[in-house]
Amino acid sequence: MTAIVAQPLQAESNRKIEESKQRMKDSAFDYQPIDDDERGLWLQMDEEERSIKLSKFLVKDPALNEYVRKVLCKTVGELNCQATRIYIMRTPHFNASMAPNGMMIVWTGLLLRSRNEAELASVLGHEFSHFENLHSIQSFRDIRAKTDAMAWISVIAGSAGSLASLGLLGLVFDFSRDMEREADILALDHLVDGGYDPMASSAIWEQLRAEMDATAAERKVRSRKDKNDGFFSTHPNTGDRMEYLRDAASKKDREGKSLGADEYRAALLSWWPRLIDDQIKLNDFGATEFLLGKLADDGWTPELLYARGELYRARGKDDDFQKAVEFYRQSIASGAQFSENWRGLGLSLLRSGVKEEGQAALRDYVTRQPDAPDKAIISMMAGGN
Amino acid sequence: MCRGSYVMKHFGFGLFAATLLVAVPAQAQFFFEMGAEKSATKDGFVLPDDRAARVIVFRPDVNVGEQTTGGLNEPNADWTKEARTALNAALENELKSRSGEMKLMPDLAGEEAVLIDEYTRLFKAVANAAISHKLFSGDRLPTKKDAFDWTMGPGAAKLGDLGGGDYGLFFYTYDSYGSVGRKAVQAVGLLIGVGVSSGVHIGYAGLVDLKTGELVWINADVKMGGDVRDSEGAEKRISQLLEDFPSSGGRGKKVGAK
Amino acid sequence: MRFGQKLAGFALTGFAVVSLWVAPAAAGWKIMPSGEEVKVAKSKMTVTPAQDWNRWSERPSKRGEIWTLDGISLNELTFMAQIGNGESLYRERDKKNNPLPKFKSDMLPTDLVELFEASSRIVLQTSLFEITNVEPTKISGKDAVRFSYRFVTRGDELARQGEAVAANVDGKFYLANFVAPSIHYYDRDLPKFRALTNSLKI
Repeated sequence: MTAIVAQPLQAESNRKIEESKQRMKDSAFDYQPIDDDERGLWLQMDEEERSIKLSKFLVKDPALNEYVRKVLCKTVGELNCQATRIYIMRTPHFNASMAPNGMMIVWTGLLLRSRNEAELASVLGHEFSHFENLHSIQSFRDIRAKTDAMAWISVIAGSAGSLASLGLLGLVFDFSRDMEREADILALDHLVDGGYDPMASSAIWEQLRAEMDATAAERKVRSRKDKNDGFFSTHPNTGDRMEYLRDAASKKDREGKSLGADEYRAALLSWWPRLIDDQIKLNDFGATEFLLGKLADDGWTPELLYARGELYRARGKDDDFQKAVEFYRQSIASGAQFSENWRGLGLSLLRSGVKEEGQAALRDYVTRQPDAPDKAIISMMAGGN
Repeated sequence: MCRGSYVMKHFGFGLFAATLLVAVPAQAQFFFEMGAEKSATKDGFVLPDDRAARVIVFRPDVNVGEQTTGGLNEPNADWTKEARTALNAALENELKSRSGEMKLMPDLAGEEAVLIDEYTRLFKAVANAAISHKLFSGDRLPTKKDAFDWTMGPGAAKLGDLGGGDYGLFFYTYDSYGSVGRKAVQAVGLLIGVGVSSGVHIGYAGLVDLKTGELVWINADVKMGGDVRDSEGAEKRISQLLEDFPSSGGRGKKVGAK
Repeated sequence: MRFGQKLAGFALTGFAVVSLWVAPAAAGWKIMPSGEEVKVAKSKMTVTPAQDWNRWSERPSKRGEIWTLDGISLNELTFMAQIGNGESLYRERDKKNNPLPKFKSDMLPTDLVELFEASSRIVLQTSLFEITNVEPTKISGKDAVRFSYRFVTRGDELARQGEAVAANVDGKFYLANFVAPSIHYYDRDLPKFRALTNSLKI
C-alpha cells in the first residue's frame, strides 16, 4: 500500500524539482549585485522580502550586519556572497535559514551561541550549501508529497498510528538527513577555504546538544536533543552528525586554520548585553547557565559574572539569591563599573533578608545611574525619598 | 538548523515550505460562520455629492495557499504572486471604470513605506474587530450594539497627504485551496460520515475617511468564489468585495453585479 | 528542537493568551456598565468603570479577566488577582518545555515588573519588549508599582504600548494591565485606564 500510493506523488515531486532548479539557475546567474539605490531594489523585491525589510524584529545595526556579511563572504567567496542578502532577526533561539531567492535569515540566538568566528561561519556556510544544492525547493516538494500520502493512508487504514504511516515517516527523515549531510560536507570545504578550523562545525553541534541536556536536567524532563518533533524535524540524529563532522574535519588540513575567537568577541561586544538579557528572560535556567559557562571558557569576565547574577536572581530558588550576591560582588571586584551590578546586588541582598546592606547598594545604583527608568521605585525601596 | 519551519511560522514566508503549521489568521473563527457576506456602513454614510471623492486604494493584502490533505494551510509563493498580479490588474480596471475617483497609493520606499505598513497593520486590526464584533454574529460586543465607530485615528490624514486623497480603500483576501488530496479526503470522509471541510476563501474591503481615520464602510465575505489566480476570478473577487460600496449622495457609480 | 514547537497562535495580538485558533463554543461578552462597581478576576478586587466596557468570557488564567472597548487587538485591559506563591500569571501552555516564571510571595515591587516582563516575553514569543518607566504608586492605600512599556508581537507586528499597576499584598499578586497599539489607541484610552485604576479596591 505504501509503495503504491507514494510513487505517483514522488514522480510529480521530482518533475517539480526539475522545473524549480531551472528557474533557480536562471535567477541565480542573472542576479544583479545590490546597489545603493534603495528605491530601485525595493521595487524589485518580493513581498516576502519587503515584509522582512519592514519587520520590527530586524536588527539594523550596520556594524553587526557588516560583520556577519564579512564572515559569510570569507566562507563562501565574494561572488557567492553577492547573491545573498542577510537579515538578522531579534529572536533568542538558535536558527539560520536560507530561501531559494538568496535571502538568508540569522537569529540573534545563533550569534549568542557561537563562541567564535569559525562556529558562525560553519552555520552560515551550511545554510548557504543548502541554497547551492537547491535543497529548500527539493525538501518542500518532497515533504509535501510524502505527508499527503501519509494522510491518505491514515484515512484508508482508519488510524493515524498505523504501521504504514510510520514507515513513510521514516522515509521523510531519511531524505532530509541526506540533504543535511550533503550540506555539512560541502560546508566543511567552504570553512577550510575561508581559513577556518573545520572542527568548529562539530563543536557547535556538540554545544547545542549539551545545552539541550542542560535545559532538560534543570527542568527534570527528558532531553529533547534526539527528539524528532513530530513531522517537523529535518535533522539527522545530531549525535551521528557530530561524528561524521568530526571525522570529515579531521581529514582536512587544519594547519594554520583559525577560530577567530577574539575577532568574534569584539564584534559582538555591544550586542552581548541585549542578547544575554533576551536569553535570561526565556526562563530556561539550565540552558543559560550552560551557555554562560561555555562563554566563560577563557575566564569569567565582569559581564559574564553580572549575567550569572541576573540569572540566579531571576530564578530565585533556595540559595540562588546568596549565590547571586557573590556573582555581583565578583563582577564589581573585577573593576566593573556598570551600575546594574549594584542594582542586582541590592535586590538580591533584600531578597536574602539583608536589609541595610541591600538598601545601601540600591542607593549606590541610583547615584551611579541617575536617569534609570526605575529610579523612582528603587529610591523608594532603598528607604529614601 | 531548522530549515525555515520556525521562521516561516513567524514571518509567514511563502518561500520556506518545510512547515505545515503556518497558522490561519485570526479570521479562523469564520470557519464557524456559515456562508455569510455582510457589509456595514457608518451611520448612513455617503460619499460627498458636491465633488468627486478622492479615494486612495492600498495594494491588496493577498494570501494564497493550499490546504494539505491534513487540513493545514501551506502558503504558496507562486500562487500568491499570481493572485497579487491578477488582483492588482483587476483593481486597476475597476479604477479606470470609475473615471479617476479612485487611484492606487503610489509605491513608496523608506520612511513612507514604514508609515503605510504600520497603518495597514492597524487597519487589519480595526477591520478584524469590526468584522468579528459587529458584522457577524457569535462574537458581538454589547457596547457596539447600536454603534459602528471603529477608527484609525486622525493620524491617518498623513496617508491622505501621501496619496493625495480623502478616503482610503483597503482590501484583504485569503484563499486556502482545497488540494486534490484534500478534496479526495473530503469525499472519503463524506462516505464514511466524517465531516471534512475543504478550502477557505475569505475577503474584506474597507473604506476609511482619512481625515478622521474613521472606518465608514466594510464588506466581508467568508465564502468567496472564483479563483483569484486568474484574471476572471480576480475581477469577480474585486467586484464581490466592492458590493454595496457607498454611493455618493444619489448619483455616482453603483458597483457591478456579482 | 525546542524552537520547532507550535506557537501559541499567529492570532495572538494582545495579551489574550487564549488562542483564537479554536473558536470557543460559549465565547461571549458581557457588558460592564459605567458607574457600577464590579468584582474582577474571580476575587474580591473591584473596579468601577467610568464608561461601558465589554468583559470576555474567555480568561487568560483562572485568576485573570479581560475587558475591551473596541476589540482586544485595539484596547485590552487585563485584571489579575490573588495569584499565590508558586503560580504563574498566565495559563501554562507547555509546562514541560516552555514553563512560565512563578510569583513568589516575598517579591519586591521591581520583581513584580520583572515577572511581568518575563511572562509576557514568553507568552507573546517576543524579544522586542522594553520597560520604559517604573514608579511607586498606591492601590487601595497599599504600596504598588506603576510601570509602562512598549513591545511588538509576532502576530501582527503592530507597535504597542502598555501601562500596568501591580502589587504584592499579603503575599498575593494583583495586576491591572492596559495594552493598545501606539497609533491612536494608547494615547486615547490611557486616561480611561488610569481612571479605572484609581477606582481599584483590593
